[in-house]
Amino acid sequence: MRDPAELLVAAAEGDRSAWDELESRFGPRMWAVARACGLSPSDAADAVQGAWLRLLQHFHTIREPAAVGGWLMTTVRREALLMLRKQRPGVTSLEIVEEPDPESAVLEADGRRLLWKTVSTLHEPCRSLLQLVAIDLGNQQMAARLGLPVGSVGPTKARCLEKLRTLISAQETAQ
Amino acid sequence: MINDEYFLAALRLASGNDPVPGHVSAAARDAFGLRVPGAVTAAPAECAAPGGVRDGQGSHLVRFVTAGLTFDLEVTIGDGLIDVAGHVFPYPGEGAVIDVRTPHLTLSRRIANTGDFAATGLPPGWLSVVCHRPGHQPVQTRWVRIRP
Repeated sequence: MRDPAELLVAAAEGDRSAWDELESRFGPRMWAVARACGLSPSDAADAVQGAWLRLLQHFHTIREPAAVGGWLMTTVRREALLMLRKQRPGVTSLEIVEEPDPESAVLEADGRRLLWKTVSTLHEPCRSLLQLVAIDLGNQQMAARLGLPVGSVGPTKARCLEKLRTLISAQETAQ
Repeated sequence: MINDEYFLAALRLASGNDPVPGHVSAAARDAFGLRVPGAVTAAPAECAAPGGVRDGQGSHLVRFVTAGLTFDLEVTIGDGLIDVAGHVFPYPGEGAVIDVRTPHLTLSRRIANTGDFAATGLPPGWLSVVCHRPGHQPVQTRWVRIRP
């Protein structure tokens, strides 16, 4: 399996299979980043496509080819934020930055494993609730599955996410 | 500070919910066909508002500049399609060709000796223009998103 830097160089030289492999490796996470920014499916599709088009024009200017994944996440997030800002008059920028995006670290494969591991250490109802949140179950169905009043699902979800955030932050600090 | 949406996106991603749609992956793969080997990229000019200026009649005015070549694009959206009226200067010379590109459609145009060119009926979305000049590297504008 080729590493990201090799894939980037090969794609820049015209190797379509390398491009496809970059898409396989990073496309799902780019989608998750765009959706995490709050974009609709159609706008998220635009943001992801925009990031790929930018990569075509930056093959030779990416400072750290090994970090092309981080570059793509940062770029898709930036495109997403531009789209959101355009809906309101305000500051926009077409500048592309190459710094890693710390917020998307939780979307990295290691970050996701850590996240699930941490979810599994939570007490009930948080453990089950977050698993149900992950599959986008509505509040009514969640209330029925968890045996909670519907009105308490929202506040409980907020408390569980806060616990998760505290635990993840503590683990990141310890690393 | 990681916000809740990122946690939720990571949870959904890990659970296999909200996967990237097939058409999004296919579009990303197809984008490789838009690579222009050896091209120089013209950036949006600092004097223009990034992403374009609306002139009050539904047109976006965008300028892209690189060493030796400037593109002015007036992009109009009507009936769900986009029209581009462009001007490239200095005049790139006899035999130069402009490609007005979207991910789904590329229209090639000869350039008038005034430097003007036009393309109509393009689908909304990402847009870029490439100038091919005999004996020179191609010059492409940065991709810009045009939506109603």
